[in-house]
Amino acid sequence: MAKQEIKLTVNGKIYHLEVAPNEILLNILRDKLFLTGSKYGCGIGECGACTILAGGRSYLSCLIPAVAADGWEITTIEGLAKGEELTPLQQAFIDEGAIQCGFCTPGMVMTATALLNENPDPDEEYIKDYLRGNHCRCTGYIAIVKAVQAAAEKQRQG
Amino acid sequence: MSEQETVYKIIGKATPRIDGPAKVTGKMQYTSDIMLPGMLYGMVLRSPHAHAEIISIDTAEAEALGAVCLTYADINPIVYNERSVSIPAATYRDRTVLPAKARHFGEPIAAVAAASEELAYQALQLLKVEYKVLPAVFTPQEAMADGAPQLYEQIWLGEEKVAVKNNIGVIRNIEEGDVEAGFAAADRIFEHTFELGRVYHDQLETKGAVCAPEADGSLTVWCTAQSIHANRQLLGRVLGLPLSKINVKKLPLGGAFGSSIQVNTVTPICACLALKAGRPVKLISSREEDFYSHQKYPSVFEVKLGVAGEGRFTAAQVKCLVDFGAHQVQPLPYMGCVAGWFASLYRYGPLRFLGTAVYTNKVPCCAMQGYGNPQINFAIESMVDIICEEMGWDSVEFRLKNHRGVGDEFWGQGPTIRSIIKSCGVPESLTKGGEIFAWKERRPHTEKSGRYRKGIGVARGFHTSGTGGPKEGEVIDYSSCMVKINEDGSVDLISALMDHGGGTWDAMAKIVSQTLQVPMRMIGLSPTDTRNTGYDVCTHATRGVYCGGAAVLYVTNKVKEKLLEYAGRILFEHPAALEIICDEELGQGVIFAKNYHQKSITIGEVAKIAQINSWGTIAYTDSYRQRNCPPCFTTHFLEVEVDTLTGEITVPKALLYGDCGTVINPVLIDGQLIGSFNRGLGYTVYESLDVDQKTGELTNKGLLVDYKTPTAAEMPAAENVLVHWTDTYEPSGPFGAKGIGEAALASVQAALANAVYNAIGIRFAKLPITPEVVLAALRAIDN
Amino acid sequence: MNTRIIPVNYNYLAPTTLAEALTVLADKPRVKILAGGTDLIVKLKTGVDIPLEYLMDIKRIEELKLPKYCQRGLFIGPLATLSQLEKDPDLQKHYPALAEALRAMAAVSVRNMATMAGNLCNASPVADTAGPAICYGAQLKLENITNHRIIKAEDFFTGPQTNVMTPQEILTEIFLPQPLANCGGAFRKKTRVKADIAKISATAVLAREGNIITHCRIAMGSIAAVPLFLGELSAGLIGQEMSPDLRREAGRKAAETIKPIDDNRTTAGYRTAIAGLLVEEVLAAAWQRAGGEL
Repeated sequence: MAKQEIKLTVNGKIYHLEVAPNEILLNILRDKLFLTGSKYGCGIGECGACTILAGGRSYLSCLIPAVAADGWEITTIEGLAKGEELTPLQQAFIDEGAIQCGFCTPGMVMTATALLNENPDPDEEYIKDYLRGNHCRCTGYIAIVKAVQAAAEKQRQG
Repeated sequence: MSEQETVYKIIGKATPRIDGPAKVTGKMQYTSDIMLPGMLYGMVLRSPHAHAEIISIDTAEAEALGAVCLTYADINPIVYNERSVSIPAATYRDRTVLPAKARHFGEPIAAVAAASEELAYQALQLLKVEYKVLPAVFTPQEAMADGAPQLYEQIWLGEEKVAVKNNIGVIRNIEEGDVEAGFAAADRIFEHTFELGRVYHDQLETKGAVCAPEADGSLTVWCTAQSIHANRQLLGRVLGLPLSKINVKKLPLGGAFGSSIQVNTVTPICACLALKAGRPVKLISSREEDFYSHQKYPSVFEVKLGVAGEGRFTAAQVKCLVDFGAHQVQPLPYMGCVAGWFASLYRYGPLRFLGTAVYTNKVPCCAMQGYGNPQINFAIESMVDIICEEMGWDSVEFRLKNHRGVGDEFWGQGPTIRSIIKSCGVPESLTKGGEIFAWKERRPHTEKSGRYRKGIGVARGFHTSGTGGPKEGEVIDYSSCMVKINEDGSVDLISALMDHGGGTWDAMAKIVSQTLQVPMRMIGLSPTDTRNTGYDVCTHATRGVYCGGAAVLYVTNKVKEKLLEYAGRILFEHPAALEIICDEELGQGVIFAKNYHQKSITIGEVAKIAQINSWGTIAYTDSYRQRNCPPCFTTHFLEVEVDTLTGEITVPKALLYGDCGTVINPVLIDGQLIGSFNRGLGYTVYESLDVDQKTGELTNKGLLVDYKTPTAAEMPAAENVLVHWTDTYEPSGPFGAKGIGEAALASVQAALANAVYNAIGIRFAKLPITPEVVLAALRAIDN
Repeated sequence: MNTRIIPVNYNYLAPTTLAEALTVLADKPRVKILAGGTDLIVKLKTGVDIPLEYLMDIKRIEELKLPKYCQRGLFIGPLATLSQLEKDPDLQKHYPALAEALRAMAAVSVRNMATMAGNLCNASPVADTAGPAICYGAQLKLENITNHRIIKAEDFFTGPQTNVMTPQEILTEIFLPQPLANCGGAFRKKTRVKADIAKISATAVLAREGNIITHCRIAMGSIAAVPLFLGELSAGLIGQEMSPDLRREAGRKAAETIKPIDDNRTTAGYRTAIAGLLVEEVLAAAWQRAGGEL
């Protein structure tokens, strides 16, 4: 059960970390790197609050032992905006009222970012289906769908 | 531009959330994000038995691992109720920080703190608990039977000891008028039973706390809370510390829906661990632990309604049976509130409410969006549909004729908190909603055939806005705040009022902005705690905007008086001759002499001059209680489609009609109504919590994989989710506003069930209406 | 159980070649293979009793990665994720029932992590890819350090969470033979919400000549101790003329064959009640995909 050294690139920064084999990536991001934007919601891959990106795709950091992520290049919610400048999707979440308590928001934004990476022109059904693993107990999702549509529109216009 | 258009009006405008940037960038700090140097991680040992005496707990091995252990022997055995919204005299007390006896599966028995969660978990496995397992009861019927195992011998009511007989925790009977005479006068009497099971809040953020002992002997607390002051007061009693030595910080909440009105069970445990360890401790519930902490009140209603041929009620009676679990989180006011929601729906004439709430060896129940309102609404609004169907009446017309409206009495929080309704959007929402949804063209179920059958249902509901009233009742209601104008014309708002995500803080900022004519960006929502704020009862009961907002308005108006007085001194004008107009470009409120705008000064200049001249800071602080509890109304017209071969129900179209008085922020109202619709869909079609009848363990083991809530994929098309609000003005509310939050859920369930009836002709009186239930009912008809 | 952490200890190994991995399995006791982790990590977190001394992460073994299509059929490496497969144009074209099953699984982030091999090896009676694997006649290659064997998908499962694999073996390849001409396949499942494991699922793959069924394989999930190949029913349909009555009769027989239980997702009664409907639907959809008319 010896600790192992891993290398993670998170939001462009390189970290060398000593982790135990059973430590979860989510907890490493939060407790060791102080990137607390990714949230614990259910621990078993049901709610999507812990979603991160690697290679532009979404992953559930609550189901990944940190050792298994050795060498990964990860983006967390903290890595999307450039300084004060929000991504069109982040801005759309604010503008469309897609945020209430905000606890699901990081995971939701990450999954929606992956969505737009895959499909810059998604219809409503595609969005709803893509987001079906991200729980939001507050908003009823409609505003979130609209935010993704608005961001897609904005991205298409450049 | 006309002069009218130049007037700054922020109330009613869609404004971006102040906390939006922090929330979309992951920078918003919630309880579980708090980290302190030297912090230990707490974890709770939970009972594997539904009912068991704890003979002994051996902590030696866990301590040898370096863990700090907490058992019953360590705690102050003061008996309390986690919820303190109602007055002490109306509060039964039955619990301690950790119990001497486990009364439900998953109840906290002991706790540890260690350097990591992994280590803490290891330490938990080393705790050796000797239990004497006792027989358990899981239904009210079992619990009330003679000879049934007793959860308690005695509990406390206020300062009185009371004996518990047959596990009955609360009896609450209320009667007004001559009920028997009313039924005798009826042409028809309708009687049906409705049953609503347990569901779970599933707020995204699990309950938790971080507690830090400070060098001066005080304790700093960050916790999931709908009221920081309630937490401080309970911790003070439990820890035996003066309140000045306990400081609870205000944080955003990752959803609540009522789950943190009471002090969360883990918070005192965390505080005790921290004091014992002498180090900061962080204790965050896992999701499965959260399932075992609190659930929504289930209820069974036997409803009896008398009607007269001309389309009105003659009398009403509801018998209510509630299985509230192993501890009281104020089921007494719950029963009063259920009676009140029942009484306030219609002008029945004489009415009677007979309520019994029973202890069982299950997870304690607490408020969850509506505090009994969605439950009783489902029963009564289903009954209205049944009655109208049987009597051949149009149920919209019937509702229009019989609902309680302007001039009628409304019970905002049970029988002791009542006020007269002054604004009411019911006629508008039923009439216009009916037009939008082509209600009059609705076809009966008998004309429907084929595999997929559509139906339209309507139901109306409400919730109170706060728990204020002309007289003191059994529920505490007031808010406090401080408003302070800074020397550059910006404004600090300091308040303990919590925001669960609905945007309460934005509403408060808007009220200040509107009143002082200071642009939104110049309003600061101060980070606060229990030390620097006055008491605020709690953000519950849909009171944020109406009560919290009224307090903010009251205090802001006082500040405005002072501001204008100082401005008058500077401008040589009587304060009454001055007015403030916002200059958004300048980023200032500007004070003008009325009708002589050449004479003006900015708020910032006034504040600066007041400082330089040593007049003092332009600030005010006070508490304020609303003298009313106006209902905010909702009407739901919903269309369902039932797959008669699978029993699956979908909702192709929904009309959500709200009456919140003046709309403070339309985006947020939409959010409340649509979010509530989603949760109502869950309550009606998807969600239920069951326990293993042998062990008392949740059949889903507290795992979200077996507690499905509707996601984006289950929602209707965006263009088919229609949100409307009525043109109403509440004279007692800040800028005419009332609440909306809990009302938004109240009538979803009945509207869905009524729509299902209209589709397939089957009346479901029990929730949830799962495909399994629907298909079995359809097959029963076929056979 | 505590889902905030992995509450068990183990050693972690990450071999980079198959030979290395097989050696580990041959030499060490209580090794569990980690691929996507979406089943295994959940089990570890939720206290499922798994003997575990070594967690062997095989995701760094390049040779186990990609799906490869050729004239003989489709070779699926055990590390191919559900997302990769779902987007594979050859898979979509030739094995539509599998594509449907993949799209119906969980949600996108899980599909980005989970593998089809993991879904099969986990051997849940619910496994969505099992039905299509069975119906497309999948052959599973199981290797240990000394030799390998090929197992038909329908012979792979032995009970809930158990399969024919020995602790020394790795599933190194899933091979889907080239479908027949005029072949069609379809998958349907019923769930509580869209992102969910199945209450019940059905798969059919069939081929036709004119209106006559010339090849037929039907499988169902979540209705018995293993993903079930309805061999007798399938064989009985071959040579028959497709019709609504035939589908209805097939559905009725399927409902009689299955042995469902009550669980958290639904009841045995409900499973039985809609089993026939599901079989009718997959037969109709597969028939249409085979170019047949309804």
